[in-house]
Amino acid sequence: MDELTREFLIESQEGLDRMERCLTDLEERPHDTELLGEIFRSVHTIKGTTGFLGFKRLERLAHAGENLLGLLRDGKLSANQVIITGLLHLMDALRGILKTIEADSNEGEGEDAELIGRLHDLQHPEAAVASLNAKAAVGNSAQAKAAPPAPPMVHQTRPSLPAIPDAETAPAPKAPANRPAQIEAKGPAIESKPLADAPADPGKPKVMTTAASDSTLRVDVMLLNRMMNLVGELVLTRNQILQATSLDPNLTLLSRRLDMVTADLRESVMKARMQPVSNVFSKFPRIIRDLSQALNRKVRLVMEGQETELDKSLLEAIKDPLTHAVRNSLDHGIEPPDVRIAAGKDPEGTLKLRAYQESSHVIIEVSDDGAGIRVERVRAKAIERGLIAAERAAQMAERELLQLIFLPGFSTAEAVTNVSGRGVGMDVVRTNVEKIGGKVEIDSRPGKGTTLRLRIPLTLAIIPALIVRSLNQSFALPQGALSELVHIPPERVSTAIEYMEGTPLYRLRGQLLPLIFLDRLLSPGSASTSLTSEARAERDNFIAVLDADGRRFGLVVDGLADPEEIVVKPLSGVLKSIGLYSGATVLGSGDLALILDPGSIASRAGVAMRAQEEEQAGIVQEEAETDVMASRYLLVEALERRAAVPLGDVLRIERIPLSRIEYIGYRPVLNFEGQLLPVEDSGGVLAAAGGNPEAQLTVVVCREGNRHVGIAVSHVLDVAAGSELFEAGSQHHASGVTLLKDHVTGIVDLAAVPPLPFGSHGEASQLNEWTTETVA
Amino acid sequence: MTTNTRTATGLTLRKDGPSTVILEMCSVRVGQTLFGIPITHILEIVGGTIPQAVPLAPDFVGGLVHYRGDVLTTVSLRQLLGLPVIGGKYDILVLESASGSFGLLVDSVGEVLTVSASDHEPNPSILDERRRTLFAGAYKLKQGLLVMLDPERLDPVRLGAAAA
Repeated sequence: MDELTREFLIESQEGLDRMERCLTDLEERPHDTELLGEIFRSVHTIKGTTGFLGFKRLERLAHAGENLLGLLRDGKLSANQVIITGLLHLMDALRGILKTIEADSNEGEGEDAELIGRLHDLQHPEAAVASLNAKAAVGNSAQAKAAPPAPPMVHQTRPSLPAIPDAETAPAPKAPANRPAQIEAKGPAIESKPLADAPADPGKPKVMTTAASDSTLRVDVMLLNRMMNLVGELVLTRNQILQATSLDPNLTLLSRRLDMVTADLRESVMKARMQPVSNVFSKFPRIIRDLSQALNRKVRLVMEGQETELDKSLLEAIKDPLTHAVRNSLDHGIEPPDVRIAAGKDPEGTLKLRAYQESSHVIIEVSDDGAGIRVERVRAKAIERGLIAAERAAQMAERELLQLIFLPGFSTAEAVTNVSGRGVGMDVVRTNVEKIGGKVEIDSRPGKGTTLRLRIPLTLAIIPALIVRSLNQSFALPQGALSELVHIPPERVSTAIEYMEGTPLYRLRGQLLPLIFLDRLLSPGSASTSLTSEARAERDNFIAVLDADGRRFGLVVDGLADPEEIVVKPLSGVLKSIGLYSGATVLGSGDLALILDPGSIASRAGVAMRAQEEEQAGIVQEEAETDVMASRYLLVEALERRAAVPLGDVLRIERIPLSRIEYIGYRPVLNFEGQLLPVEDSGGVLAAAGGNPEAQLTVVVCREGNRHVGIAVSHVLDVAAGSELFEAGSQHHASGVTLLKDHVTGIVDLAAVPPLPFGSHGEASQLNEWTTETVA
Repeated sequence: MTTNTRTATGLTLRKDGPSTVILEMCSVRVGQTLFGIPITHILEIVGGTIPQAVPLAPDFVGGLVHYRGDVLTTVSLRQLLGLPVIGGKYDILVLESASGSFGLLVDSVGEVLTVSASDHEPNPSILDERRRTLFAGAYKLKQGLLVMLDPERLDPVRLGAAAA
């Protein structure tokens, strides 16, 4: 395929993407001339360029669409549902042909007469005026066609269409209507060109719609990859120079400068690979429009944080999972309007796509205000599909049950529709997201809605990793899979690591964690390199607790080094086929380290999927199940009284002097890194300190809904598993208390912590008002 | 009059007398043997590098080395020939093959030798199977034999496929 055709394809695709966005917006604002102008231009560009590329089929179609759009744009016709549907079909047809051209370099065979006829008919609802103008439009285009390779001659004429001086300037595809000066300037230049040069023109200087895009440039991704590689190399060289020059004061300044420039350069190159998520989000209005019509739903799409940026390759990778998630939300989440009305909800459901950055991750949320996931149905379905044993399912907590929807073969849809319900979906979402080092979380409240959260690393090329030592060499462990680290000092090795017929296990807060010794895994059968258990007992051991593909295990390594941001380098095919390494990297010290793939390690060592594993465990030791089942709590003490805080809600534990506690009215608050935290003192710890500013107290910072609250306590005692308690006789679940270490312990009700007075209004003025009257 | 014509393949044709094709070979030493590799296949020679071992890799893999921003898989000639593997530093020839570049670990790299095509002999029939697949005959030099290595056959992808 020649350069010109390729340029044309890329540009047309972009045009159609824009058109798609505009069309869905058009439904809301049918008279927005700017939108209509944009759509018109997209189609027009295609038509104009196909003229001299000789794609007749494409030209005829675009022409038919252009006529209709011309009427719309001039206000002779107003857009309605039928017309928009027609235009969407036109867009699909154009896309289809472009795809064929891309694949076979020709337009392929196809009959478009029907669509052209339909587009033609759409011009006629308001017969008289429309037909008159349609003729005019045909006239215009005919004239344009008469001199296809040099259309600019047309643009200065046609005073009858003053609003669109660019309408016929095919070589200036994105020429905006409001910038005639530029077009004038451009016109002569094109005209003066020999005919043979003209076709090359549309690919080159582009007159964009906004000033910002005037300064943009299209760059080959390959070049960016190469730049990324070179920057990685530079980073390494810098590190070595820094080490070499650290003793020479003259060079220190220079090397510092090099250090800074390198860091900036790295950031810039990484940024060049970033694209806004709107590139992916933009296709959803159309998908939702089509799906909601097909499924008879009324859905309003809200998109937030479209400007959030993500590496291009990652953006590609989340396209499918995100589409799956959105389809699921529409099919299973948002109810049909009548059901919604019956439930007292707005008949129009809301689907929210939200993207935001959180440190080195981008979070993409798909939330709906639909029916939510009824865990009972999940339970029933999982049993029915044989994914889990009935006895086991009966024991599972809600959170665990929700996780079942990620198992392959799971679907709660009553009927298999063409939208979803075939049992592929959520597992695909999870697999795809984990493949790129991301995570999927789900939150659901029956009747209220479901939120699916995709946690995506910012970039693939550079990832945070923990460097571990084993077999006297370094390995990199992606931080994404790492959940915690456990250090076992030499004297505890023999007792802490237990064996079940040779299988090493570790009791992590009461639960058995299968262990994999990295050195044994990597050097099977060679007793010389891997440590015997006696030798192991004489040194420190570290367990990296990993979560990969829903499996949890501990990887035992000999040592830990600092975490590093590593540049991922691909491995050759021979080494990739070993299956345990996902790449290699050059460490700051100049050493090479292999990047371990936690998922493959788990499969190699035979660690089962978590749900399955628990199921197996359930069959073997049913009695022990209550233990496994129990939720975990942070056991705290406030003035000799004990209470439990659900561990899942605990964010961190702060030890602070009393002087740090300030008051808003009577409410104690903690100013924590610029964020105000209400401190709950039902245990009376603050009062007992008696205003001694030196007194130390502990604040447990917890998550409650979408806010954080602090609980003032004297000490944190332990983390323990609590068992559920049932009321004698009635078997009613006793809420608010749990059996912790054989004592009935009250659970701190985080939701009962009243919000700060300004929480509901969020007005800064009120905040000031409150703070001025404080200082207790 | 003598005219030297350099062809794309790096062959030097000397047009005096009987047409003798002169080739340039990089000589490398592994164990007792002097091996030759056509210089046209060599991208670069990296001296004194300690490759990073890759646990569980096939035996012929000599480890990884860092080369111009990439991580290069190396092939250990010692390992291939069944010689004892010595630890420490190696010289590395960066070779190009159909499936990308790779490194060849040798004990030491010697000088570039010019050999005449007429001195070439194919592999002797008594050579063992393994060596026969790796070698591409030998040149008879005054100082001894220069055993030719075929870079294509040393390609780790090919070796991996053969081992499987």
